[in-house]
Amino acid sequence: MKRIFSFLILSCLALTLRAETETTLTATPAREAYVMHFDLNWNVAGGLPEKAMLISLQGLANRTAPNLYVIHPKEYQWEITQPLYDYYERKYHVHFTPLATADAALTQFKSAAKGYVVWDKKVGASLNVAFTIAGLEDAVVVSEELIPVVEKHGLKKIDDLRGRYTGQTDAQIYQDAVNRYWSRTNKDAVMMMGGHRGAVMMPGMADWGVRQKMFFHDLAANPAIPAELALERKLLSQLNPGATVFGWHPYGKDTEEQHTTLISTYGLKMEGLHNLPNLSFNCQFTFTPGFKFTNHHHVDRDAKLVAGQKVYMAFVQSDSIGIGVWTKPGRGKLPFAWQVTMNWTKFSPAALEYFHESATPNDYFIGGLSGPGYMYPNHIPADKFPLLMKEANEMMNMLDERVLEIMDNSAADGNLGNADLTKETVDRYYKAFPNVIGFINGYGPARTRDLRGSQPMISYDYYINPRRPRDEVTADLNELIALNAKRPYFLLVHVRESNDVNSLVEVTKRLEGPVEIVPLDVFLKLAASNQTYTTRYQDPEEPKHFAGFPKE
Amino acid sequence: MMTSFKKILLGFVLALAGVAAVSANPALAGRWRLDPAQSTALDGWSTLDLVVSLDGSKVALRHELTWGATKATETNTLDTAAPVDAAKYFRIEARHMAVYPAKGGVTHATATWIDSGKTLRIEATTPVEVSQGIVPIRLYSEYRVSELGDVLTVIELRSSRNRPLVYVFKKVPAEAAK
Repeated sequence: MKRIFSFLILSCLALTLRAETETTLTATPAREAYVMHFDLNWNVAGGLPEKAMLISLQGLANRTAPNLYVIHPKEYQWEITQPLYDYYERKYHVHFTPLATADAALTQFKSAAKGYVVWDKKVGASLNVAFTIAGLEDAVVVSEELIPVVEKHGLKKIDDLRGRYTGQTDAQIYQDAVNRYWSRTNKDAVMMMGGHRGAVMMPGMADWGVRQKMFFHDLAANPAIPAELALERKLLSQLNPGATVFGWHPYGKDTEEQHTTLISTYGLKMEGLHNLPNLSFNCQFTFTPGFKFTNHHHVDRDAKLVAGQKVYMAFVQSDSIGIGVWTKPGRGKLPFAWQVTMNWTKFSPAALEYFHESATPNDYFIGGLSGPGYMYPNHIPADKFPLLMKEANEMMNMLDERVLEIMDNSAADGNLGNADLTKETVDRYYKAFPNVIGFINGYGPARTRDLRGSQPMISYDYYINPRRPRDEVTADLNELIALNAKRPYFLLVHVRESNDVNSLVEVTKRLEGPVEIVPLDVFLKLAASNQTYTTRYQDPEEPKHFAGFPKE
Repeated sequence: MMTSFKKILLGFVLALAGVAAVSANPALAGRWRLDPAQSTALDGWSTLDLVVSLDGSKVALRHELTWGATKATETNTLDTAAPVDAAKYFRIEARHMAVYPAKGGVTHATATWIDSGKTLRIEATTPVEVSQGIVPIRLYSEYRVSELGDVLTVIELRSSRNRPLVYVFKKVPAEAAK
């Protein structure tokens, strides 16, 4: 009898436990979606046309619900599509059905489209015009050889750009598109679908622009192309305050520095890259119930540390964690700070949750870049700065981040040269962020340094070029340690995306002197205790690689 | 009749004069192009041409560098007859290090022909700005031309770096250099 009773009790207990487990697992309701696998062929003469069609279809298919996700090969610049797919399955209980072909995708989602628009493969800019039309008219974009494919599924022609722009400059093409479509497009966002141009185009972010009905362009922010610059300035000036410029600058027509400078001049936020995939899918997930960001702080916000007679070294990985070394072997072996693209709280919450959940105790998240998006603060208008930084503060609080990374390469030459902040800019940051434990600055090395109260601002003393032989990296770091002979020395190192963490571990074993590698928050607290670094801002006499834009 | 001591003294003086008057190695002159595969890796620069001009005791070392669309030309002019104090002095730096020529700094440099005039030696002390302020770097360089005159090896030692920097250049024929 006792045994039977015990069995019944145990059975009830087991059932209860099982029920609790199932309750937990089903806290996020199951959801059906579809997945496609892309290859790396983005040639205009090869795989691009079909991909462009599918990406536009993805934008339409995901208009009202997250229905279509794309997985890219691990060699693709955004390496997280597979891990994030796994995460959606596991954490959000999304059940994905594979779609093997474009035909299968059209069969599944043709009802999301009202028709198709034909772009002209001989005129690259026509693809961007087609994407704009796609968003406004619910069309898929096709090159002429794909017309039979979409017509087979009953889609009708909405527009045909073949020949419309033959012989025209990009400025002329986009001016025509502005005349036709600008008034109807989204004014909170614009899609700068630049990046790769010519024989290879990589519009991986177009699904997002189509879904959000953005105006697509790849106008140059280059004073040497005045007609394009003038048109882009006109567009930027007509966006709503606080708007976001998605995508990336057009390679070969201008530089990242020019474009980011221009966008910052209007107080707008940039969010790249042009090939960032799946935002139309990702934006529709919130954080899982009960999830709260908890950063791996190594020191209390108000703690006071005292630096010893040592060389303190900290590593930072910026470039947005998604294109970094997150999924590469070795992460967790060294304390790393990771610059989080804070805007992903709005566009890719699941991705941020994935990163936070998979963080090791050595992974520490920091805010960036310069504010609530990628911006060059020396060029943000003074009257727009407080509101932008209020937004950045709010996102940092949500993400439990206490360090802000700043970057202004407006006067730099790529990752080299003058990356410093003016004193006025530094003053503004100290005023806008009274609660951070410190600031870091630069991309390549920079010379802006300060200490106000307990908040240091430290620039990178070294940038690890992933192609630099590790023996030379070791020698470089040892040389910096020798040249900065006072102790403590605070050596902040920027680890460029695609660096191999394992190789850095070997480098650190060969450093000379009383070196201690510490997490960034500890580093800043120590740097606040003994200012052996100079206070310095941008020197107006220092050369500027890009003089900036003339006032309008 | 000279005493043995006087003969020795005269010989010593002549020898000293001979050293001082060692003439430049004409083979060093011309345009040299860096062979990256044989050299210490550049950082921040992609290509480097070294153009050497000899004019009496004057030696001009013009560095022509590129990185993408960026081009830079930096010349160090030295004198084997006397030390120079230069307001600008170029060193092939790793550009991703926060080590910059000090603003207003003066570099003291001495150039000497050694090894019977085959090798140019340059010793310089240059001030640089690092995060802790201004500090000097002592540079020791030798410019060695191969027996056939087609390879130039530049070896640089720095007081701040234990690992020598070795740059190997190939001679650019005069026609190609035009």
